[in-house]
Amino acid sequence: MFRSLAKVADRTVQLEIEGQQVSAPVGATLWATMALHGLTRTRTASVSGQQRSAYCAMGVCFECLVEVDGMPNRQACLTQVVEGMVVKRQQITEQSHWPVEAIDNSDDPSLNALAVEVR
Amino acid sequence: MQASYDIAIIGAGSAGMSAAITAANAGASVVVLDDKPRAGGQIYRNVSASPLADVKALGADYLAGVDLVTEFNLCAAERHYQCLVWHVGDDGEVLFSQQGQTQSLHAREIIVSTGAMERPFPIPGWHLPGVMTAGSAQVMLKSDGVACDDAVFVGTGPLLYLIVAQYVRLGVRVKALVDTTPKSQYLSAMQHSLGVLAAPAMLLKGLSLLSEIRQADLKVYRFAEQLQVVGEDAARALRFRCGDHQVDIPTEQIFLHQGVIPNLNMTRALGLEHKWSAQQLCWQPVLDQWGQSSISNISVAGDGSGIVGAQGAACMGRLAALNLLSRLGVIDVEQRDQQSRADLAELSRLNHFRRFIDQLYRPMDAHRIPQQQDTLVCRCEEQTVAQLRAGFEKGATGPNELKGLTRCGMGPCQGRQCGHTVSELLADWRQQPVSDIGYYRLRSPQRLLTLTELSRFNRLQPAQQTVEEEAS
Repeated sequence: MFRSLAKVADRTVQLEIEGQQVSAPVGATLWATMALHGLTRTRTASVSGQQRSAYCAMGVCFECLVEVDGMPNRQACLTQVVEGMVVKRQQITEQSHWPVEAIDNSDDPSLNALAVEVR
Repeated sequence: MQASYDIAIIGAGSAGMSAAITAANAGASVVVLDDKPRAGGQIYRNVSASPLADVKALGADYLAGVDLVTEFNLCAAERHYQCLVWHVGDDGEVLFSQQGQTQSLHAREIIVSTGAMERPFPIPGWHLPGVMTAGSAQVMLKSDGVACDDAVFVGTGPLLYLIVAQYVRLGVRVKALVDTTPKSQYLSAMQHSLGVLAAPAMLLKGLSLLSEIRQADLKVYRFAEQLQVVGEDAARALRFRCGDHQVDIPTEQIFLHQGVIPNLNMTRALGLEHKWSAQQLCWQPVLDQWGQSSISNISVAGDGSGIVGAQGAACMGRLAALNLLSRLGVIDVEQRDQQSRADLAELSRLNHFRRFIDQLYRPMDAHRIPQQQDTLVCRCEEQTVAQLRAGFEKGATGPNELKGLTRCGMGPCQGRQCGHTVSELLADWRQQPVSDIGYYRLRSPQRLLTLTELSRFNRLQPAQQTVEEEAS
């Protein structure tokens, strides 16, 4: 079990991980926050569909990929928590489809232009 | 024309910070990019802002980083954090993502100081949730003050003993230390005992760590072999052989470690010439004594050049900076040579000691070149030893052919976790030296990148006058 040996934080943020509301110190690493709350599953393995979890915690293994605010492929170990952040396990496998709708819904016009080109 | 920096430094660890201080203090315009929230690299991660109540428990070597970080923060170099550098060109162009934006800059000289990563440890079950690296335990401690009770630490090397000692000092329960250092290496390392005499303080530090662990209340197994993580969907136990016995230790958290290797992605994507180091069992960029690579405007310093440790990295950073200052015309060659004497001597002393460490903690063949058919080699694309062997037998005899045929090395980590294993497996199968096998051909972008980030483009230019401008 992971536990914290940190000083009591002056300021905290609230975020949601896998539907659970959690609190974390300002500046905390997303992966560490997940570990402290026992929410250690990150990406789904793209071929076998098995659950995976972080391995290196320093940005070189890409096992801790999660979905942050709807955007997949975020490395939890290199991401700092932000107030209101919504984090989900990443479910993308070989069978998944390209989430074009997610891009179309963006309010950024330059991004829509790029999305059209990609299609 | 858009302004260039004199020197761009990628990575603010021991080497990058030391290079920046030397170059900026001499008047060069320097920009430093790092992927973490503050300077320090892996060794001095968060040393200036530790979340731990008892930061002294991490030891004097860690706290020694405070002075370096402070000096770096006070020097005139521009510092940018949380930057994911995803392209460095031999033309001096650097592209990176920062807060959802793409930034670009140009520099006349570039120092790659991206440091080391832990050597992959491909044993059965190493991909299961609950298996992490010992370095990750230290990262979590340094960056967030997070520790894990009742974990089993497995492998060999100074970093493994250091994190166990740190856990013990902090009162974190350690279930066991399973040491894989073979008995024979205690003897073979003695041929480098002169190197130990060159750095007696380092040896004493190592011995005191080991004695701290011996006195602690934790089970230590030595000369362990045939490691295996037991579990279906997550780690449930560590299984190994100790002499004639098979041992099973039930645990939900295993931390593996068998040394560190250069983080190659940037130097490989740049197309620098590399060589296989038989001493360190890893690829290293080919460099001169100043860290200058086969592309003259690209230098490499620190553990990214071959493992030298934090002190050696600082020496290399200063040496690279002095060389670039002479290339930029800030100092002349005589000044460079004169100012570099102490660091060159220190580096040579440290390298003698390194030979002893490399021999003593040499990772076992069985833990680098997996023989069990269902062990995953490529974690991203889930390619096992058997699948790679099948690809090899179909005619894929080099890393790139094997990648094309099996997709190994093609996932998001871009071969960081399987590259060395694939080079060594192919060398074993072909019965040829690893140097003849080569490595994956890597390309930019070296990080995951969104279209949004690409569409928001910004150019970074030096705030400070460059050497070139001053001269004109």
